[in-house]
Amino acid sequence: MKRYDLIVVGAGPAGLSAAAEAAAHGLGVAVFDENSRPGGQLFKQIHKFFGSKEHKAKIRGYDIGAGLLREAEGLGVKVYLNSPVTGMYLDREIVAETDGAVSHYRADAIVVATGASENMVAFDGWTLPGVMGAGAAQTMMNINRVRPGSRVLMLGSGNVGLVVGYQLLQAGCELAAVVDAAPRVGGYGVHAAKLARCGVPFFLSHTIVKAEGETRVTGVVIGRVDETWNIVPGTQKHFDADTICVAAGLSPSTRLLLMAGCEMYEPVPGGGRLPVCDEFTGKTSVQGIYAAGDVSGIEEASSAMIEGRAAGAAAAAELGYISGGELKARLDKLETALASLREGMFAPKNRGKVFVKTDEGYDISDSLLRNGYLADGEATKYPGVKSVAGIHPVIECTQNIPCNPCQDACPKGCIKVGTNIVSLPAVDEKAGCIGCGMCVASCSGQAVFLVNEDVGGGFATVTAPYEFLPVPQKGERGVALDRSGAPVCEAEIVDVRTSPSFDRTFLLTFRVPGEQCSRARFWRREVRRFGRD
Amino acid sequence: MVVINDRSRDLGPFMPADDDGLIICRCEEITKGEIRRAVHDGMFNLHEVRRFLRCGMGLCQGQTCGRLVRSIVARELGTPIAQIDEATARAPMRPIEMSVFAKEVEDV
Amino acid sequence: MSATTADVIIIGAGAIGSAAAYNLTKKGLSVIVLERSGYIGNGGSSRNGGGVRQSGRDPRELPLAMYGVKNLWPSLSEELGMDVEYYQRGNLRLGKTEEHLRILRGLTQNANECGLDVRMIDAAEAREICPYLSGEVIGASWCPTDGHANPMLVTLAFYRAARRNGARFITGCEVTAIQKSRGRARRVVSSTGEIFEADSVVLVAGYDSNAVLASLGFFVPMSPLLMEVLVTEEMPPMFYQMLGTAMADFYGHQSSHGSFVFGGSSGYEAYNRNNGTPVSSSITAPSMCRAVLGYFPALSEAKIVRTWAGWIDECADHVPVIGLTDEVPGFVFGCAFSGHGFGISPVAGMLLAELAAGETTTLDVSAFAYDRFKAKI
Repeated sequence: MKRYDLIVVGAGPAGLSAAAEAAAHGLGVAVFDENSRPGGQLFKQIHKFFGSKEHKAKIRGYDIGAGLLREAEGLGVKVYLNSPVTGMYLDREIVAETDGAVSHYRADAIVVATGASENMVAFDGWTLPGVMGAGAAQTMMNINRVRPGSRVLMLGSGNVGLVVGYQLLQAGCELAAVVDAAPRVGGYGVHAAKLARCGVPFFLSHTIVKAEGETRVTGVVIGRVDETWNIVPGTQKHFDADTICVAAGLSPSTRLLLMAGCEMYEPVPGGGRLPVCDEFTGKTSVQGIYAAGDVSGIEEASSAMIEGRAAGAAAAAELGYISGGELKARLDKLETALASLREGMFAPKNRGKVFVKTDEGYDISDSLLRNGYLADGEATKYPGVKSVAGIHPVIECTQNIPCNPCQDACPKGCIKVGTNIVSLPAVDEKAGCIGCGMCVASCSGQAVFLVNEDVGGGFATVTAPYEFLPVPQKGERGVALDRSGAPVCEAEIVDVRTSPSFDRTFLLTFRVPGEQCSRARFWRREVRRFGRD
Repeated sequence: MVVINDRSRDLGPFMPADDDGLIICRCEEITKGEIRRAVHDGMFNLHEVRRFLRCGMGLCQGQTCGRLVRSIVARELGTPIAQIDEATARAPMRPIEMSVFAKEVEDV
Repeated sequence: MSATTADVIIIGAGAIGSAAAYNLTKKGLSVIVLERSGYIGNGGSSRNGGGVRQSGRDPRELPLAMYGVKNLWPSLSEELGMDVEYYQRGNLRLGKTEEHLRILRGLTQNANECGLDVRMIDAAEAREICPYLSGEVIGASWCPTDGHANPMLVTLAFYRAARRNGARFITGCEVTAIQKSRGRARRVVSSTGEIFEADSVVLVAGYDSNAVLASLGFFVPMSPLLMEVLVTEEMPPMFYQMLGTAMADFYGHQSSHGSFVFGGSSGYEAYNRNNGTPVSSSITAPSMCRAVLGYFPALSEAKIVRTWAGWIDECADHVPVIGLTDEVPGFVFGCAFSGHGFGISPVAGMLLAELAAGETTTLDVSAFAYDRFKAKI
């Protein structure tokens, strides 16, 4: 039987990281993946990642995936693609299917990095064609280049729902609404704000009553839910839609771990089993078997990559390729990086908690949590939003999330996050902003704008990040939209900038009447392409 | 988790509900009402409901509906969901043609 | 019946235990069924190929199989109020070589001597019965009265009917000992210390029976034998015979639902590592696929959706232990069914109920007595 030091199941962020780490320590490593391309979900992630430099923040997911793959292959990792692992048997044996045949492999250590699958929600009509997981829609768009539909309703306001919702807009779909039974937006406020300013309405405390249609989805009815999750009579609303995306959370794909006999537990009743394992290296109850990434508990890809590294290092130590001391040094470093990602309001330990104030004591915007955007006048309460003469950054980042590229991006030191990566960024009005726009392009949440409140003639300019095609031209006239997506005034494009360092983000500068500069946050051609009717 | 489970305990009468016609297992087209009735027929866990109705026994092997079925069974029994075991994981992880499974080759 | 006392306690809620419970409730007796696992039919009852065969049976067992096929199986769905997917479409045992045919002829002769209608047929007739056979098949033995049923549904149907009749099933209740009182098996003790009492105690717990038997000083010479099965996706209806081969390299059938269910072996089943739960081996399913495709090439594209394993309580002489013993009045043996238990489960349930109720059994069970195990010389 073919034998490797380490077999990794799943070539996603955790698996590739585990493989690269172990191979770097000298292990003979093979990675198996059922897909034709490695990278797991990374190659679907066209948005920029959060975190800090060491977490590859502000790099787009597919670039992170490509880098990881280069690293792993450069270290001699054997990557088996189109090779589903059909089973895990006693004593770290796997059977994999490749090219119309099966082969048996044994390893001295196995890292299971099989990720997670999407949860479905059953409602009247949920089996109609046109109802799909948000992740499935993302695969259609970003891997297969197929638009999932033309008018979509998104169920779920977690980060998956919000990120995929935005990508649907980028792909040219209309987004009829984001609906969530929870009373508050579940994902990052900045992700919600990106959608809201495009005019996408949010319906919190609502759920789908039914999908309409005979042979496929033609419409959706939603309704408000009461405290016991029942629909309140008379609150039903109808939307025309040909597609319903469901982003109702993920379930870890633990079946291989179960087959291997790993001890499991269920932290959230009904939420599905997770392996009992070291929360950092993923070492399970079965000798030589590790779990890394979403399979050991749903988190972001950034965390998964560190978990993968830790599992790879632990396997290297178990097999004698590095000493206990070397392992400890490596893990200490990784643990610091992981710990910073596991801080803030969205940290795994804070799931389900309701925050009314930030760590710094600022009120969390109720409007942001209910509508997806900061209400007029709220933005100035936060340390990133200050009224300053001349051009200056306006950072509408109002929740404690682990992210700091804006701080590093500014060559003039205008932006301070500090050493605590989850702190809200503060603008230093005395450090002279030169309007370079690096902060705008670096913000993964697209929450940084450049504002010049007085460019003469009673006008102001607003510079906003823009990731839609076609890119507007200088001199084009359109309308400026406020944070809710409502038109506030006419606006002419006065500058369009891009550069390799912006990594495909365009910076649109549009001119608005001076009194609108604190409201105008997005620009739209006169043609109505998306949003409310 | 093995819990002492008296199968004769009173669940009360079966109460029809508006959403009994909702399909839960789409592979085998099993409805919520059928699952609820199976519980009243003595099928007190996911394993028995699967064997009784075939829900979760189709192509996806319950990977889509397992979670839904589990919550329906727990609610019908009035049991904490943690006491309802999930289904057993069995090979193959993905459906595999007999001709492929039959062909074992040594990777060298 | 109080919460812990009944006329009869049955240990083991498999197909046969549930069938016994059903039969006892029909007699008007109160029954408690104690099951160690959390599930009804968790052992061999939900882990077998579903054969309802008479052919190929040990002559001692054949009367039970024939009685069931004649008297119980045809009306079982009606009796239990739900479809148990019983098909009586015959059993084909296939051969590809002269050696195979020689084996088949021997089996056929044995069956005929016991009064069972089995005959040898040629390749053309075999293909008429089942058009999907490989061209390599040169002959078969044919038992037209054999068939198959859905073992999970049979088990649950007996359970459901018994439960409706008032039998009290308790799952998750591990029995650690049977204790005598005033000279009879009477008290049943659980791992949590609960004590159940009855006039008769029936033990139908498969291989695990030995652990409980030890409390009475009994031991049945049986070993756990791994058996594995694979299930395909739903296929269009093709054939409804029960299938087997001269070399016993696979057996199986197509179910009502359209899935094919095949059992088979790698040849190393007796030497597996028993770690307490049935674990399928990595080499058995491929072996079964090769065996099946060697006889049914038409199934090459059929997708396997599931494989599973179970333990057979393989008796030293390959037939079960059923009956009473003078040593411990009130105790009824029902174990070591050796992998043939499902096909005779309605009959075994009937007989165990009769034994527990103190009645004369419908069929002679003396061949299955516990005291039959003697030294070979």
